[in-house]
Amino acid sequence: MAVKIVTDTLSDITSDLAEELGITLVPLYVRFGETVYKDRVEITSEEFYRRLVSEANLPSTTQPTPNDFLQVYEALAEETDEILVIVVSSKLSGTFQSATQAKEMMKGKCNIEVVDSLSVAMGMGLMVVSAVDAVKNGANLDDVVALVRKAVSRSHVAYLFETLKYLAKGGRIGKASGLLGSLLSVKPILTIKEGELAPLTRVRSLSAGLDYLCSYAAGFSNIEGMAVEHATNLDDADQLVERLGAIYPKERIYRSVISPVVGTYSGPNALALTILEGEKK
Amino acid sequence: MSQKKTVAGQELRDMFSAAASWLEKSSADIDALNVFPVPDGDTGTNMMLTMRSTMDEAYRAPDHSAAGIAHAMARGALMGARGNSGVILSQIWRGLAQGLEDKEDFNAADLAAAFQQSAQIAYKGVSNPVEGTMLTVMKDLAKAAQAEVEAGNDDIIAVLEAAVNAAAESVAYTPMLLKVLKDAGVVDAGGQGVYTILEGALRFLRGETELMRLRKPQIIVSDIPHSASQPQTISVDEVPYGYCTEFLLKGEKLEPDIIKKRLLKKGESLIVVGDDSAVRIHIHTLTPGNILQFAAKLGTMHQVSIRNMDEQHQDFLEMQKERMPTSDTAVIAVAAGDGLADVFGSLGAAAVVPGGQTMNPSTKDILQVVESTLSDKVIILPNNKNIIAAAKQVESLTEKKIAVVPTKTIPQGVVALLSFDYEAEFNTNAEIMEKALPSVKTIEITRSVRATKINGLKIKRKQPIGLLDGELIAVGDTNLDVINQLLSRLDLEKAEVITIYFGEDAETEETEQINAGITELYPHLQVELIRGGQPHYSYIISIE
Repeated sequence: MAVKIVTDTLSDITSDLAEELGITLVPLYVRFGETVYKDRVEITSEEFYRRLVSEANLPSTTQPTPNDFLQVYEALAEETDEILVIVVSSKLSGTFQSATQAKEMMKGKCNIEVVDSLSVAMGMGLMVVSAVDAVKNGANLDDVVALVRKAVSRSHVAYLFETLKYLAKGGRIGKASGLLGSLLSVKPILTIKEGELAPLTRVRSLSAGLDYLCSYAAGFSNIEGMAVEHATNLDDADQLVERLGAIYPKERIYRSVISPVVGTYSGPNALALTILEGEKK
Repeated sequence: MSQKKTVAGQELRDMFSAAASWLEKSSADIDALNVFPVPDGDTGTNMMLTMRSTMDEAYRAPDHSAAGIAHAMARGALMGARGNSGVILSQIWRGLAQGLEDKEDFNAADLAAAFQQSAQIAYKGVSNPVEGTMLTVMKDLAKAAQAEVEAGNDDIIAVLEAAVNAAAESVAYTPMLLKVLKDAGVVDAGGQGVYTILEGALRFLRGETELMRLRKPQIIVSDIPHSASQPQTISVDEVPYGYCTEFLLKGEKLEPDIIKKRLLKKGESLIVVGDDSAVRIHIHTLTPGNILQFAAKLGTMHQVSIRNMDEQHQDFLEMQKERMPTSDTAVIAVAAGDGLADVFGSLGAAAVVPGGQTMNPSTKDILQVVESTLSDKVIILPNNKNIIAAAKQVESLTEKKIAVVPTKTIPQGVVALLSFDYEAEFNTNAEIMEKALPSVKTIEITRSVRATKINGLKIKRKQPIGLLDGELIAVGDTNLDVINQLLSRLDLEKAEVITIYFGEDAETEETEQINAGITELYPHLQVELIRGGQPHYSYIISIE
């Protein structure tokens, strides 16, 4: 029986892509005030960003409950005895804990491995894609777990945020706090380092930001996968993809929308570039 | 949302017990906020230990009324208080106990009144209260709770929520009140602790216990601009900090107020709190022996702790080094004008050397600042073509690794500093910064010091003149006229941001006019107006 793969919605894998890949998505929760929504099930990304701008209080996000994972495990256990769960960085969300607790409840019923991607968005999304490919090629659970663990250090992301405003309000920002407090308006460029947000640099204009992202991508000679994401600024993302076409076939670049958890920090205008480096031969 | 009208003793105990566990989760993060020489080497740990003692006593309380529990908490806190923050926290509980005196249970109004009492008592315990600390946070949250009650709200959860929100804002504002915090770019650790405790209590009342188990309190981030450290001469024989001395004095008929008066001149950061049977004393002194001798006559001493603060200071400097996690490189900039110095500081410059046009700093001036930074690798931004040579001399005079990025104007310096790459090596960074320089155009507006002819321009004395990237190419009757001439020479199609740094002699009305003029002529540009405070140049304008 083939390994089944589960991930959370912070992978930014769209429901269409999830269907195509044959994987299961477990949604996180987004809370605006007193109302809680299932991420991208009960609230669309468009709606999320619209309310992010218009409401006084920032939304908060909560991990799926252990029970959410348990239900998915139980359903999948009907068809397989091996499940791989790839979750968002444990430093950004408690999803890892929920997934692990549910795993304990399934002891003896099904062989489950939970892997901390130490990343977020397509940074983990591309790991999931890579894992699906491996399973298609006959990898068993042990093989694919080893593969994803190795992929963690080959996954690179660069985020371009239009403003520091949301980053400052959002709290949990790891090493990126050094970017705060600028007297000039700047657009921060951030990465994920050891599972946390960390600064790369700052720019003052969108074109300088796009230049930076392109040269960031050009710094990798062996690219296995690439993804470009936007928040509400689809045009900017199109422009970036067009330019990245010079170094990587643009029809192979995955497109998606930045998830609410990162969106809470990025605000409605942001770009994310993800690169999964190929394995060193 | 559920409402809550009253809270009884056991629930009071449970909510602060949950709050103590909540605080415990972030005590290390709070420790990391410490700024020397604000007393307390480890605020988070101290507050956590104080809370443990507070709650241990609360669980031993024979009287389960709200008053009984609060009283036990106050007693436990006083007995187990650690550090400056712990002692002040113990006063907050003492205020709470006084506010809830004789109450079986309490309502929203009682809680608000008790918070007011806590704030008052906390201020009273400290010999010279400093704003921008946990005292301020307590005062602000008490005020917010009171306002909520006066607005007619009798839901305890809502009142506590108003208090917690006010505490968060107050914590975020602490760097504005206390310069050491601003310089270090952190919020007050004690204030953060108070916020976290009450946030924990609030979450408990809201029934978020599952969430509290899985999550961790957040440290409040202030978006108040950091300031760069101004250079200071550090002499070897500076005044020592002395010893942080603290103990619990037990006896009979103790008189805290009199003890406080007697100790007032014996040291700094004095706190004396307690009652007639137990008094907690905290003081920074050069002669701890005298303090102990004095106290020994009054009663018995317990939990005596004397720590050498100069050692703590060394540890602190080490910690500061560790706290620069992503880069071990310091960037220092030369700039004249407090506004420009703030701009560089806010963008992460480790220090600013005062100087610029007509007041070029010497190599020695720059060297001194280089030596005073904590990093072994320093990048210098001279920001003036006449300072580049002096900056380059520094390399041969120091053990530190030096790179000079030849920035000729303030906008070039800003662009260089912004392009700093946190992940890049030292030399690569210097290259990246230098490569960024052509991406900015600089306009400088000043006045001619004498009549002259240059570049085909006839210039009268005191007439406004304009330089583009250092070259004098425009003259006119007004500053606005000169700026417009220069802007029309540039291809602004691809530009996105114009920043106007106005100087110390720029007139507000004219500045507004220039700002409005540019915004109208070039609607696609983002125009930012920043006070540079620089001498000589009425305006320095960057076009990116």
